[in-house]
Amino acid sequence: MEAVLNFAIFLPLLGALLVAVVRNELFAKITAVSLSGFVLLLALILFINFDFSKEGFQFETVVPWIKTLGINYHVGLDGMAVSLILMTALIFFAVFVWSWKIEDRPVLYLSLFLALETACIGVFAALDLFLFYLFWEAMLIPMYFIIGFWGHDRKVYAANKFFLYTFFGSLFLLLGIASVLVYAYFTQGRISFDYAFLSSVDYPLWLELIAFLFFGLGFAVKIPMWPFHTWLPDAHVEAPTAGSAVLAGVLLKMGTYGFVRFSLPFFPEASKYYAPLIFFLSVVAIIYAAMMAIAQNHMKRLIAYSSISHMGLVTLGTFALTPEALNGAVYLMIAHGLSSAALFFSAGFIYDRIHSYEMDRLGGLARYIPYFTVAFFLSVLAGIAFPGFASFVAEFLILLGTYAKHPVWAFVAGVGMVLGAAYSLYMFKKVMLEEERVPPERIERWKKLKDLEPHHVITFALILFMALLMGVYPYPFVKVVEHTARLVLGG
Amino acid sequence: MNWSALLPELTLSAGVLTLFTLELLYGKKAFKAATLLAALFLALAAVSTLFTAHPERLFFGGFTVDALSLAGKLLLYALAALVLVSSYDYFIKRNSPYGELPYLYLLAVLGMSVMLSSDNLAVVFTGLELSSITLYLLAGLFKNDYPSKEGAFKYLVIGTTGTSMFALGSAFVYAATGSLRTVPYEGENAFFALGVVLILSALALKASAVPFHFWTPDAYEGAPTPTTAFMAAVPKLALYFLLVKLTYTLLSSFEDWRLFVVLLAVASMLVGNLAAYAQTSLKRLFAYSSVAHAGYFLTALTAVDEHLFAALLFYVFAYGTATVGVFTLLTVLEKALGRPARLDDLKGLYRTAPGTALLFALFLFAFIGIPPLALFWGKLGIFFGLVKAELFTVGVLFALGSLLSVGYYLRLVVLMFLTEPEREVKTALSGGEAFTLSFAALATLALGLAPQTVLDLLLRALP
Repeated sequence: MEAVLNFAIFLPLLGALLVAVVRNELFAKITAVSLSGFVLLLALILFINFDFSKEGFQFETVVPWIKTLGINYHVGLDGMAVSLILMTALIFFAVFVWSWKIEDRPVLYLSLFLALETACIGVFAALDLFLFYLFWEAMLIPMYFIIGFWGHDRKVYAANKFFLYTFFGSLFLLLGIASVLVYAYFTQGRISFDYAFLSSVDYPLWLELIAFLFFGLGFAVKIPMWPFHTWLPDAHVEAPTAGSAVLAGVLLKMGTYGFVRFSLPFFPEASKYYAPLIFFLSVVAIIYAAMMAIAQNHMKRLIAYSSISHMGLVTLGTFALTPEALNGAVYLMIAHGLSSAALFFSAGFIYDRIHSYEMDRLGGLARYIPYFTVAFFLSVLAGIAFPGFASFVAEFLILLGTYAKHPVWAFVAGVGMVLGAAYSLYMFKKVMLEEERVPPERIERWKKLKDLEPHHVITFALILFMALLMGVYPYPFVKVVEHTARLVLGG
Repeated sequence: MNWSALLPELTLSAGVLTLFTLELLYGKKAFKAATLLAALFLALAAVSTLFTAHPERLFFGGFTVDALSLAGKLLLYALAALVLVSSYDYFIKRNSPYGELPYLYLLAVLGMSVMLSSDNLAVVFTGLELSSITLYLLAGLFKNDYPSKEGAFKYLVIGTTGTSMFALGSAFVYAATGSLRTVPYEGENAFFALGVVLILSALALKASAVPFHFWTPDAYEGAPTPTTAFMAAVPKLALYFLLVKLTYTLLSSFEDWRLFVVLLAVASMLVGNLAAYAQTSLKRLFAYSSVAHAGYFLTALTAVDEHLFAALLFYVFAYGTATVGVFTLLTVLEKALGRPARLDDLKGLYRTAPGTALLFALFLFAFIGIPPLALFWGKLGIFFGLVKAELFTVGVLFALGSLLSVGYYLRLVVLMFLTEPEREVKTALSGGEAFTLSFAALATLALGLAPQTVLDLLLRALP
């Protein structure tokens, strides 16, 4: 089983090198789809074999690497990691299927995405802080070039903004890692980047308060939490469809994953101390981003703001510090990964066909591309936490867990969810319905539009199936996710 | 007397004499062979450090060989050899294959070698002068070229001021302690403080730290590009070995040394990184980037700690390797363009010369400090040290400083990869350049993946 995890991490990178060396378009596409499909299979095997009744990490591999600094190649999974990796593998497979017909420099494009997949899976599997940081930073360069090469008009601006913001955060993350490491070295007399070792150290309150801020800044930029969110709408608007799907589906989750994996177990006191601040920032994000979403006319910008709003809900659930809310938060990471990817694919499909994201210029499409209408509507429902979809379970758990301890914050967050339903349905209405608003010559154009092609169908079917499965039959997923809550909160 | 303690210096001296004779006999004709021979002598000297007797004190205690100075020499020679291997083609193409060049480089390295192997300020001064004077000559090589002369002259005037400050500082230290040896000094004495500040300022000047950095952009721009590579990488490494040695003894005996170093460091980071944005010449841009790096390096001198020093020296070596790589690329571009490369020349380089662009990007990301490239470890090590000394504010300033630098490095990446080419740039690599580039790139990667190789060497060598 350990080998399966290591294969899942490094096969995509191997594929990236292979694709870059062979430089053949068809070979690249077949390799990318089959390799990522195989990785999805591996992730599924890991998920099925994961024993949620056992304590601690599973499928661990430890190989000494840099002995002087106590760095090991150490990977392993808990419930949260295994489910996030399943989601990541699914989204990447969907991305490669979606990109089947890409024409602009396909070899480079696919090899960058393959490299990105290794970095993303690696982040969730790393149990050594250096390894974690390595994967965390490694994702920066492929994403930078994906936005920069294949983005829209202001791609360079967006790519630079993305790089600078994220790098700003990761510098502080590094400073935080240095802080805990040095303290552990002084008190325990041993330099080690090992996760278990560093989380077993009892940090004094002053250090917890400082280091929490350093770590938190790194994660907050990535999530992104208000007020560090301004890079996200730009990055999403300019990124190509598949880039947006990965960015919203996977990369944003790294920040919240970091909070659950590192901040809570390392700094339990500081987490309690800063909880009100995090609640405040989360609720501002939920409400403010939802209001911003309502005001948008650009589909991708609207979805980007809705991501910020939902991620606010995740941070709220994380710092409520109750098992239910934490389960809900982790569940929402996965659910939102699926639904936001589906929404970005929908927006991307419309752009492919009509070359516009402006909702004013769209409208009345429902009758002419019926299959897409179904897919888009299901994606919207998945996004607004409609019962039967994964995010319903997630948001219900978060509100339940938060309400038990902080009823006021839970109430405000609930208002945000209503707003979420409002702007998502409004977007659907403006894009797909209201045929009478659209000038007749545009309707003529609509009539010639081509509906979903097979590769689109596979993409949507996979993601929506997963979202529905997790909504209708949440039992195994909740059990797996609970494994992390026990690990983090104890008991 | 144990002559085998002088093995590296003897090798270098033999090299200088051989090349001198060679120049007399063959003049410009043997330039390429002489350059490669010089690199070979450096490589031999590097190997000889492994067989050098140590610890050893020679010449009445004026010349000391210890593990730290040997480790320093090993890295120094390796780096210098790397520069020399790449250099010959540029001078041949510029029609200036002066036969003196190879042994001047060797003399400069010999000077740095002497500088590292003494705890007597007078001997250190001799080594510093030998390397500095040779560098003034090397910088002003193009005697018919105005910028080259201007840069060399500025370098000469400001550099001499630096060495004078060093001499004066040594005199004050002598006045206070009654000895020129660098040993810890207890007790308060204004002369001692003044001496230490002067010595530190002199070395800060050589390291191009703000406010002593004014010679750097002009000298870098005026010098022949391979010499710039040499200036930017090799003397820096020697200098930081010296600074580490001095921090153990002289600097830390002066109470307020930390404040002084922090001020130098923060000023260098800010000025270097901000001024780099305003540059249109690539050589000047990297000159300011080296000013900023001087700031990063100096932050590591705020505490006496072997891990911090090992991280610093590793960082300087990794920086040196990447810098040699970048300047070799600038040499290649300059040969293709027929004039020093400007920022605009990078436009669309990925389309016209993908290999050059990819290597350039690798070195730029290394400068930014992305793991697993070698320079990342230096950055991490310095964070470590600052946290250890509880200098959290300096740590935050360091983080902000390196964030500032990302902008201009990324601008180069954008120009190379994300803009359309304006003209065809056909780059051609000589054998030497190809060797240096591939070695520098591989070392940047390998030192990042296995930093313990050099790090352990340094940790064992530090007292």
